[in-house]
Amino acid sequence: MSEFYRDPKIFVIVVLLILALAAPLFLPDAFVFLIGLTYLFIILAISWDVIVGYTGQVNLGHTVFVGIGAYTTALLQVPSRFEGTFLNALAGIPQPPVFISILLGGIVAAFVGFVIGVITLRLKGYYFALVTAVLPLVFIQFLYVWSDIFGGEEGFSVGLERALAPDSTGKYYIAFGLMVISIITLYFILRSSIGYKFRAVRDDEILAESVGIDIVKYKVLSFVISSFFAGLAGAAFVHYRITVGPSLFDIPLMLLIILAAVIGGLGTLYGPILGGFIIYLMKNWWLKSISGISAILPINDEVILYTILIIVAILAPHGIWSYIRLGVNKISGKAVR
Amino acid sequence: MIEIVLRILIYGAVLSGIWALTASGFSLIFGIARILNFAHGTFFVLSAYLSILLIKNLGFNIFISYAVSVILVGLVGVVIYKIMMAPIREHEVMVIIVTLAFALLVGEVLLLIFGEHGISVPSFARGFVEIAGVPITWKRISVFIAAIVVIILLEYFINRTRTGKMISAASQNLEAAMIVGMDVERLFVITMFISAALAAFGGLLYAQVFAASPIFAFKSLIFAFAIVILGGLGSVRGSIIASFIVGYILTITINTLGARWGEFMVLVTIIGILIVRPTGLFGVEE
Repeated sequence: MSEFYRDPKIFVIVVLLILALAAPLFLPDAFVFLIGLTYLFIILAISWDVIVGYTGQVNLGHTVFVGIGAYTTALLQVPSRFEGTFLNALAGIPQPPVFISILLGGIVAAFVGFVIGVITLRLKGYYFALVTAVLPLVFIQFLYVWSDIFGGEEGFSVGLERALAPDSTGKYYIAFGLMVISIITLYFILRSSIGYKFRAVRDDEILAESVGIDIVKYKVLSFVISSFFAGLAGAAFVHYRITVGPSLFDIPLMLLIILAAVIGGLGTLYGPILGGFIIYLMKNWWLKSISGISAILPINDEVILYTILIIVAILAPHGIWSYIRLGVNKISGKAVR
Repeated sequence: MIEIVLRILIYGAVLSGIWALTASGFSLIFGIARILNFAHGTFFVLSAYLSILLIKNLGFNIFISYAVSVILVGLVGVVIYKIMMAPIREHEVMVIIVTLAFALLVGEVLLLIFGEHGISVPSFARGFVEIAGVPITWKRISVFIAAIVVIILLEYFINRTRTGKMISAASQNLEAAMIVGMDVERLFVITMFISAALAAFGGLLYAQVFAASPIFAFKSLIFAFAIVILGGLGSVRGSIIASFIVGYILTITINTLGARWGEFMVLVTIIGILIVRPTGLFGVEE
């Protein structure tokens, strides 16, 4: 127990927890709403880190799993969308409670991840990156082709009564809770022998295979876990914003996730949390104010974000977390692990 | 019926020729440097925009502007390689991320300058000819001929010239190529130039028949993926043959089911190949 009081990590976590829990008391409502969304975005960044940072498989279709989770929960809540289509039989299914349906969003996303993973991850090399890069385009095409069900470009609303909570403060706490649960779950998974096997696969596939690790199994497992949390967060987004639509998970969101994880530091878990917090707030708050330049120069917020990503990836490919850890270790005099 | 078949045959050949150029460029740089260049589709649309600028704003002759924009895009490829790929080539994840970010960056800037509507470039030839009662524009025929000529030149370059042979040798075994004293860095730069120039020329041909738009950069990249997966990653000849297969699949899909099914069919093709024959038709074992 004595170590508990001395560990600076615990101290920082407690301070952050108190700050996060108290934030709605002194922040304006619009900020509370935005920060709640940021918590859900952080789930996307850390779950992407599981497959890319920890297991070394480049997934460029993470947003598809966000979308699958989102549409799963939305259609479960509004089954009347199926009326008059070839899936008419589904129109009558009873609506599950909101939290069950969010969980189902994660499960369906994990299942799709499993199918795609089994096909592509058994191949060494780049096939996984190529296939996952194609997925978003095909998925959005699907939504347009069956726009009767999915609502096409506009999407559809799940109704105010199916929101996570009636007000921003309630939504904020639920989003925060979901994020904390996701972080803790992933922390324990990544600290377990499974997590070490993920890293073994990432660092040297041949070596991992020769010590008896079934590399395909662990790659698929990592992808399933990653997809599950993406779907979960996607479903939570729907009940947070009450609407679902393709704008929820397009290519700019994918880049935002990549940016958050890369700036924070791939394969560090804490890095993407920090990166996700900074990037999402920056994109939705600070960068909105500079969009005035685009009248003079061909620059908008996305151009700036892409430029930052290129610069960071070239100059600091290990992200800011490695620098923070280095600094903390220097101060506390601990040896660098 | 015969009309539809003939139309699919000819339109498919034109599309396949264009994709063959684009995909073989993508395959070349992957084969030698193991770089998965997600900015390849950007080179494809960039040349169309450059040549439009040269023709409309600077009053260049069509052929000169095409030549200049292909060379310029080739040089852009080299600069991108030097700045963004060479320093992090060992870090494969980052190469993918950086090239993807660059592609989106250029796409966004093009969108802000030119808007989302597609642009077409002037074609080599006018008028049309009737083949068995089906009118075919000279535009398409000239595009097809240009594509075939460049493919033959590329095959000649790789199999007959000294530099080309060095490139294919280094693609087969990079370390051995270094041991026998090849300057592989120089080969990478040359390959990158050719790769980007091939995409640029493919884009120019495409924009003559259809239209290039910022969003098309990503779509053309995805078609290139499908082709190289079918042909086998790293095999140029595989890419050329696979382009005709994917080109015909696309043309048949678009002419029978409609354009919106194009990407879907491409994905189904990719997944199908990966299940049946993971290394593609001519893939290199890795």
